[in-house]
Amino acid sequence: MSKEATVQSTPSTNPGGRNDIFKRVIGAIGADNLSLLFALLVLILLITLVSGWFGFQGGDKFFSWQNLMNSLAQAIVIVGLLAIGETVVIIAGALDISVGSIASIGSVVSASVLVGAGTFGVLGLVPEGNMWIAVAAGIIAGCLAGVVNGLIVTVLRVNPIIATLGTLAAFSGVAFLLAADGKPIGVLTQPEFTWLAQGRFLTNAHIPTLGGSKWTGIPVLTVILILVAIFVHILMTYTDFGRAIYAIGGNATAARLAGINLSRVRVLMYVLSGGIAGLAGVLLTARTTSGNPINGTGLELQAITAVFLGGAATAGGKGTVVGTFLAVILVGVLNNGMNLLGFNTFVQRVALGLLLIAAVAISQWRQARAERARTRIAAEA
Amino acid sequence: MTMTAVANADAPPIPPGTLEIRNISKAFPNIQALTDVSLDIQPGEILAFIGENGAGKSTLLKIINGDYQPDSGTLSINDQKLTFANPSQAHKAGIRVIYQEPEIVPGVDVAENIWVGELPKRFGMLDRRRLNEMVEQSLVEYGFEGVLPLNLYGDELSSAQRQLVEIMRALKSGVRVLALDEPTSSLTDEEVNRLFSLVRRLRDEGVAIIYVSHRIKEILQLCDRIAVLRDGRLIAVKPAAELTEDEIVRLMVGRKLSDVFQRHPANTGQEVLKVENVYSNWHHGVSFYINTGEVVGFSGLIGAGRSELAKVIFGDLPIISGRIVLDGQDVNIRRPDQAIGKGIGFAPEDRKREGLVLIRSVLENASMAILRQVSRFHFVRNHLEREVVSSYVEKLQIRTPSVDQEVGKLSGGNQQKVVLARWLAAKPKVLILDEPTRGIDVGAKAEIYRLIDNLANQGLGIMFISSELPEILGLSDRIYVMQNGRITGELSGAEATEESILKLAMAEHLSRQDGTPAKSEKDIIQ
Repeated sequence: MSKEATVQSTPSTNPGGRNDIFKRVIGAIGADNLSLLFALLVLILLITLVSGWFGFQGGDKFFSWQNLMNSLAQAIVIVGLLAIGETVVIIAGALDISVGSIASIGSVVSASVLVGAGTFGVLGLVPEGNMWIAVAAGIIAGCLAGVVNGLIVTVLRVNPIIATLGTLAAFSGVAFLLAADGKPIGVLTQPEFTWLAQGRFLTNAHIPTLGGSKWTGIPVLTVILILVAIFVHILMTYTDFGRAIYAIGGNATAARLAGINLSRVRVLMYVLSGGIAGLAGVLLTARTTSGNPINGTGLELQAITAVFLGGAATAGGKGTVVGTFLAVILVGVLNNGMNLLGFNTFVQRVALGLLLIAAVAISQWRQARAERARTRIAAEA
Repeated sequence: MTMTAVANADAPPIPPGTLEIRNISKAFPNIQALTDVSLDIQPGEILAFIGENGAGKSTLLKIINGDYQPDSGTLSINDQKLTFANPSQAHKAGIRVIYQEPEIVPGVDVAENIWVGELPKRFGMLDRRRLNEMVEQSLVEYGFEGVLPLNLYGDELSSAQRQLVEIMRALKSGVRVLALDEPTSSLTDEEVNRLFSLVRRLRDEGVAIIYVSHRIKEILQLCDRIAVLRDGRLIAVKPAAELTEDEIVRLMVGRKLSDVFQRHPANTGQEVLKVENVYSNWHHGVSFYINTGEVVGFSGLIGAGRSELAKVIFGDLPIISGRIVLDGQDVNIRRPDQAIGKGIGFAPEDRKREGLVLIRSVLENASMAILRQVSRFHFVRNHLEREVVSSYVEKLQIRTPSVDQEVGKLSGGNQQKVVLARWLAAKPKVLILDEPTRGIDVGAKAEIYRLIDNLANQGLGIMFISSELPEILGLSDRIYVMQNGRITGELSGAEATEESILKLAMAEHLSRQDGTPAKSEKDIIQ
């Protein structure tokens, strides 16, 4: 966020004043992300307070460690990871619809390597039972899927939406082919591996009781999400790769003519998105205790929703990991709240679909507004 | 009025009339396109508009056609004032402009395209037989039988056929003022002859005809009067019989060279770029060279292939054959990043679409070509980057609140300077500048001239593409003139004049002889 921060704070005309401090705080979060925080606040109020006035039960359970750490913090991890990878692709002006299927591949491959079962595992190429090799295998499988996406888009010049729509189907099939006769591969007997999903850090910390439930520690899953978010944030903000992604999304022709190798950056970006999706698949295996080829099905929709909700522009060139992260929390709280209040999953699906459309509509509106502002300024200059 | 034979039976015949253009002015941001133009076009005459790129011909046509509304001034026919909110209102008044690429409905056939909007119906269905009869009849009548097969679909038509469809549309609904915008640029000689006889015939029937072309010979051959435009003003209107080719060129140019920037003579060194016999989709055997410390101007009409030549050298457009030698070594450049690595910089013509990422900052845009140099282990070294960019922002006097400002929020001149800052930072051996002063104000232009002069004196080889003759003459040590993908001449900066350049740029098209059709302006610009 530091880049945004300088942009926001430069025009300040009141150095040292109270306003300046206020602006710095806003700058650090990013002005666009402020509206996300506000929306989050409103949503939490709706769930905890307002719902009670209309006779809904269960909103009071929101603020409890049980709910925050067990339900919410873990529920957002998988979609959160996929959304962070997707953020990079969308900022570059492309799309990766295949992330759900890549997660399925990652899930099956990691389980298969871990227990030596399935089409790949029975080959015995790598030692069984080592959790780190299993994790690496899932990530590498995701990266390879990303290479396939990248080559289809750059070498065959297929539109990214169509390309990854195709691989969404193809990779889902690959996930089944890799599983043992298309059936899930169980990993229940691997406690070391399932620790990824069930483990907790800081269980002994002295944190006061909240909402009648005791502190249970921070889930390992949540820590992984935060680490990946920080990694990608650094990549996008401080490296030449991140610069290239923003440039390509803003104006691919200009970026190419300024010496950015479009093909290489695009392949790398799909590899990154695929690798993260592979990791998400590994964690799905740990959480569901099975490498299941349907583990990742349908997750891409939630991921893409979160990215647009997080302020990324549909035309590319705009968006931040921080924005996506806040949007993931927002979607998580929405789902969590609806669960607590007793809405069924069908209603939740409707809500998610509407949210995607609303997020894109807002993004379009922002782009139009920015465009108008630019033309006005250019005309006056 | 034989036109009634073709005209829709229901429509009242439109009587011929004189189109009176009075005191028309039109401005766009950064440019005054037309200033106080007054002109009459009489029924039964062919009047030519001629002028350099940007002289205002197209703007005037677009105002006549209702595409643009004038800022001031009036149009009238037979003392009846006309205001057009859109082209269809102009069409109703009997005024038609035939552009180079008329709008044709791709998925329907020729006959339907001509009668679009007024198709003959029978029992509520399209009366195909009557339609074909009507079209056939009018084609025969105007001498175009066999040229326009009625069963072809819109997207199967050549440029010539598209123009013909548009002309037939005009004739069908009755026309009293017909304007043709560079109609022959994509026609074969045979087609040109047919078109000329049609135009003459329409004139004899009482249509007032405006004919826009770069081809002076053609104009002298066809037109009755000639109107010369320059910098948005009407310079002269004279009967064609009183003018020669040389006089027309002189009228088109007319500027004094002394009011333009003069280059300080430099010491030119050895050859830094040599291009030999380059063929591409746009070029037929182009050869030239640039020395260190030399500004080499590239002149020519729009569509001559200059921008494309720059992109072929820069690796952005494919080369078919030929040699490119940089600093004495053969290079094989397939992508812009390779060109940059070899020491070539390129500031494209359209800075908003090709030069800049408008939604990103001055800093990011200016450092884009040197990202690797200011990074360590792929991490951009923020302080180094800011230092480098700030130094160029200062050197080029880019007016921006800070280097973090969005480039899209700067003025045109400052945006162009950001592009230049990018290439100065990359320290190239050869810098290609494509229309570097387009659309920027006079003050910024002068600064950019000074900069080009300085850079060359520091030893850069500069390929300077411009459509503005005064700046080509004022800045270039040597000048190449291009036409239709070939270099038609090389002039030293001292001996070149606007007349000598224009003659080379407009020499009768060589491409005719080898049968390669010239591309239309639109084809080449994009």
